[in-house]
Amino acid sequence: MEPTPARCCPEYAELSRRGFLQAGAGSLAGLAAMASWLPRVAVARDYRSTLRDTIVWIYLRGAADGLSMCVPWGDDNYYLARPSLAIARPDSGAAARCIDLDGFFGLSPAMAALHPAYLAGDLLFVHACGSPDPSRSHFDAQRFMEVGQVSGDTSLTGWLGRHLASVAPADPLAMLRAVGISTGLQRVLEGGPATLPIPDLAAFGLLGNPATKTARTNALRDMYATVPDPLRATASTTLATVGLLDQIGFSTYQPGGGAQYNAAESLGYALKTSAALIKAQIGVEAIAIDVHGWDTHSAQGPVSGTMAMLMNRLSAALAAFHQDMGSGSNPGYIVAVVSEFGRRVFENGSLGTDHGHGNAMMLMGPAVAGGRVLRNWRGLAQEDLYDYADLQVTIDYRDVLAEIIEHRLGNSNIASIFPGYQPVNRGVLA
Amino acid sequence: MGALVSAFAAAGAKADDLSGAVSAMGDVDPSAMLVRLVKRVTFGINASELASAASLGYAGYLDQQLNPDLIDDASCAARIAPLASLTRNFWEIYRQPAAQVVNELIEAAILRAVYSRRQLLERMVDFWTDHFNIDVNKDACAWFKIVDDREVVRANAMGKFADLLAASAMSPAMLYFLDNHQSIAGNPNLNYSRELMELHTIGVDGGYTEEDVGEVARCFTGWQFTPDTAGSLAGIFRFNAAQHDNSAKRVLGQHIPAGGGINDGLTVLRILADHPNTARFVSRKLCRRFLGEGVPESVVRAVAARFVAADGDIREVMRCILAPQHMALATPRFKRPFHLYVSAIRATGCQIASTGGMRAQLRIAGHLNFNWPNPDGYPDRVDFWSGLALPRWNFAAQMMNNAISGITPDAASFFAGLSTAEEMAARIDAAMFGHEMPAAERRRVRDYLAIDPSSPSVRAEALGLAAGSPAFQWY
Repeated sequence: MEPTPARCCPEYAELSRRGFLQAGAGSLAGLAAMASWLPRVAVARDYRSTLRDTIVWIYLRGAADGLSMCVPWGDDNYYLARPSLAIARPDSGAAARCIDLDGFFGLSPAMAALHPAYLAGDLLFVHACGSPDPSRSHFDAQRFMEVGQVSGDTSLTGWLGRHLASVAPADPLAMLRAVGISTGLQRVLEGGPATLPIPDLAAFGLLGNPATKTARTNALRDMYATVPDPLRATASTTLATVGLLDQIGFSTYQPGGGAQYNAAESLGYALKTSAALIKAQIGVEAIAIDVHGWDTHSAQGPVSGTMAMLMNRLSAALAAFHQDMGSGSNPGYIVAVVSEFGRRVFENGSLGTDHGHGNAMMLMGPAVAGGRVLRNWRGLAQEDLYDYADLQVTIDYRDVLAEIIEHRLGNSNIASIFPGYQPVNRGVLA
Repeated sequence: MGALVSAFAAAGAKADDLSGAVSAMGDVDPSAMLVRLVKRVTFGINASELASAASLGYAGYLDQQLNPDLIDDASCAARIAPLASLTRNFWEIYRQPAAQVVNELIEAAILRAVYSRRQLLERMVDFWTDHFNIDVNKDACAWFKIVDDREVVRANAMGKFADLLAASAMSPAMLYFLDNHQSIAGNPNLNYSRELMELHTIGVDGGYTEEDVGEVARCFTGWQFTPDTAGSLAGIFRFNAAQHDNSAKRVLGQHIPAGGGINDGLTVLRILADHPNTARFVSRKLCRRFLGEGVPESVVRAVAARFVAADGDIREVMRCILAPQHMALATPRFKRPFHLYVSAIRATGCQIASTGGMRAQLRIAGHLNFNWPNPDGYPDRVDFWSGLALPRWNFAAQMMNNAISGITPDAASFFAGLSTAEEMAARIDAAMFGHEMPAAERRRVRDYLAIDPSSPSVRAEALGLAAGSPAFQWY
């Protein structure tokens, strides 16, 4: 697997131009260390021509209130249902008012950082969206959505894992095709080949006595080589990946476009390191990230409280990622932000909202037909609500995903990814 | 087979169950069954635990572990005695910094798991801590959880399920974590109501409707705790009649008449505790934890029947789960990080005096006690945990390299009296694996020792490798 000079050298020259890869690469030792993964990078040039995006799947755990993120300010019933929690109209005099998006919906003021991405046409809201499954259980609804099914058989692997298993790797030599930024693999990635949970991309190394690292690594490799999966696969992907991630130089990564990540905050850090990973082009096709804390049954605080803080962090991290990945010539990406279901239209007696049904979903990326709020809005009058209480699901989340999988992830095998479901094309891509 | 038959008989099996059990066990060696039992009821085997179990036999050891109050645990108690928060009331705890009380709570959980002789009790506490999960990162839960741990979980871990459930329902930690303390007449908060049925009792397929969620929430309106303005009486359950919805309700088909006050909630707890789906749901979860993820449904049915017959007596349910005919069907369980780390400490004879380093390691592995954000508790599936190998390998390697603060390795004592790689591999097999270490892994560790069998660092690293080996990840 030695690279030919003709393939290797131009690629290396290109890599060297990237500031973050230069750390350690100036010395001979650095060159020798990098050589081990140059062949894969050389192949990466080929897979870029397939126009496949890396998908970044961000799960807002706990049922994020889409009505506070993409606010239906043009619907008077919104204000009737939420006397304390509604976010003021853009044309109101309130200090905290939403930012008009299309004359009917508005962006939460806590998410103002994302307005530029929306104006640039790279951010799409899909409203009154979700799973048609009626469950209001977090755990069932998350499982169903990650498995890609409406209730029924949830012993299946994750839809993203099945996608990866049913398409040739974008990079035929990729050692790592998907990452869950998590200590445990998210269900959506279960079944994916060369897939690992990696809680911190920048701290992925074998510790202990440095003098015996090689001997201990060899012993571990030998012991795990013959055991059954999942441990055999875990060990072999882990040992192959340890050296690979070491080369990326996360700690010295310089984001492009003047992007400022808040790396002290977990999503900011996850997206910053994800950007470095995507730009390194080692063949990673999917990244899954969880954001917790959205189950706002009490003291929801969409303007200045808990949820405002959560929306602030989310939008700041996404905006930085958008800026970073949008500067210069970078590999394609598409971000999908989802949550298991929405929250009840009516606020409860503890200044919060209980579990609802339909929700807003976000897509971000250069391929997205953004700058819009895609919806089939039926209104918030009580008789128009699901169970007289919740937003309807008028667009199945799988419609959105199927279009992405087919056109941006290079897999037309939709029937095996969403068995028994016939997606409807909603035109979420440009 | 004789020892096994008598053990089985002593474990309370009926004579006509015996033949089936024996045939189900096939050729399983009685001593192997005992090793399996010890692995299932502890946070990891070591030479002394195995020796003690061998002297008691299967039935004797099981009976000992099912009666934790009769086990002298003074030495463990002495280790946790300096952790003052454990015995304080809420008001005393509340005046301490949150980080300090949380650290003491986690330190106690670690020290008990490592050192308590009441190992099954600690496994049960671990189970119920997940079942009634409370995240200490949610504001006041940092202080409330210590009281919950002591008075809800530990006090009832081997008692009656109905008592455990009621204690949890009245626990300020739970009332706060699931927002019930803010649930008021006219506009109830549904959070606790839903999780009470979905996670604590009958399960998501237990037969409740959205109407039931709303009605149960109404029953628990006014269930609160005394505010911090109450001084030394703060943080105690109270029923606030003024905020309770006192009109009639209908829960799971049962009429609850108007004017019930606090009895509305108590009635709901009784309905749920007695519900056959609760017996099935909780039994299935316990079977999965102790017997394996793929436990046969027939075993779940048998255990659920015992749950009903014993009126939810957890000790009797565990006696049934751990009976030899069920243990014979057990499949390997993947150790979650906490279990793995504790078992590595226990098996290698490391000593742990303080837990700052261990807590940092657990956080890296995503399994720091009382830190799971959702009400469902840390996952218990191999598919969730098995992808993260590095922290597992690194913990063992760093611990044996004397690089984890608070933990002192002692490979010298572990290998005392031995000189050859072969002998040392044999001791690892015996003490860490109960003679069940796969031959290839044992050979590989032996080969590592053979680099220099007299070198203290090679010996220590070999123990680290053994704790990082594939077989040690399972129990």
